Amino acid sequence: MSGGARRVLEAWKLGLVRYGDALRLQERLVADRRASRVSDLVLSLQHPPTYTLGKRRTDHNLLLPEVELRGLGAEIHRTERGGDVTFHGPRQAVLYPILSLRTIGLGARRYVEGLESAMIEVAALYGVKARPGAAGETGVWVGDRKIGAIGVRISSGFTCHGLAFNIDPDLGYFKHIVPCGIADKEVTSLRREAAVELPPDEAIHDQLVQSLARTFFFSDVEVKDESECADMVCLSAATQS
Amino acid sequence: MALRLWASSAANALKISSSGARAAPAYSISRYFSTVLDGLKYSSSHEWVKHDGSVATVGITDHAQDSLGELVYVELPNVGTQVSQGEAFGNVESVKATSDVNSPISGEIVEVNAALKDTAVLINKSPYDDGWMIKVKPSNPSELDALLDSDKYTKHCEEEHAH
Repeated sequence: MSGGARRVLEAWKLGLVRYGDALRLQERLVADRRASRVSDLVLSLQHPPTYTLGKRRTDHNLLLPEVELRGLGAEIHRTERGGDVTFHGPRQAVLYPILSLRTIGLGARRYVEGLESAMIEVAALYGVKARPGAAGETGVWVGDRKIGAIGVRISSGFTCHGLAFNIDPDLGYFKHIVPCGIADKEVTSLRREAAVELPPDEAIHDQLVQSLARTFFFSDVEVKDESECADMVCLSAATQS
Repeated sequence: MALRLWASSAANALKISSSGARAAPAYSISRYFSTVLDGLKYSSSHEWVKHDGSVATVGITDHAQDSLGELVYVELPNVGTQVSQGEAFGNVESVKATSDVNSPISGEIVEVNAALKDTAVLINKSPYDDGWMIKVKPSNPSELDALLDSDKYTKHCEEEHAH
């Protein structure tokens, strides 16, 4: 590591963002990052109820017809990320780091391991002992129960998509999918696993960002809050209609 | 001569030599223990290309497969697709991440490795041989001159690790 050089991770706190809007924003930011118009950053947000599928289009892991899932108030998106089907919803912390892997000196596998270790570190703050998945299993687990999911896309060494960490989402939504294609395993949340009271979600988002920054050797985190970012999100939404 | 024999038997031991009467390719081990073969050209995004007359074979390097982890899925384009140097032609998915693969040369795809559809892990096991990804009819063979040879590629990998 170069001694003393300041490496800043920008944290964009976006609040509740629809999945499609976040996707378009990420596409723009990856292009911006490639052209060095922005530096390494992480989007920190939550989604309204949304089911997403990865590149492999594992539709068989949706256990209800799409029209019924929509009837529950959820959106469905097919994406270009790795990984299988998952659910995002309010009270689940979603982080999308847009990083140059070359700059942080990691390959794909170690990057994903870094995302896992950030979630494990934050769970530990609340006395919850989490672990990475066994061989072939993604995400972060408490015993046999999944507390965090990962799905990443890498284009020419730039990352997008990222991690989803269950603070206290409505776990009922997970019953209608085979989460990440792994049957017979429960989904859980920090609320269920922790014996202590949890702070507001924002604090947990901040802890995840700090943990990520440490894991990937950033020296500082610079926070941009909703008011500064809102126009960026709207711009992405507007240019896509 | 001795060195070539050593390289050849080591290459065999690592299962990176090819079939047939061709001599096993000479290779070097970088400090980071991934294999780099002589006689191939490399892109800085960790793809290799072997130019054999009118056809060029493309895949990802040992360094790349190692940094991705075990692959579970490979998406390849159709035969006949045009590719451009430096642009993505497909992607590979490991258990956790989907990564684009860029073409080191421009041209028309004349063959794709069908075996990868069911056995993506071939790329991990044999990145320079059985795990080849596409064969391209190069539209501009001079593009190869802009690529890295095995020494420069090895240095490139070492520099990437020096963080």
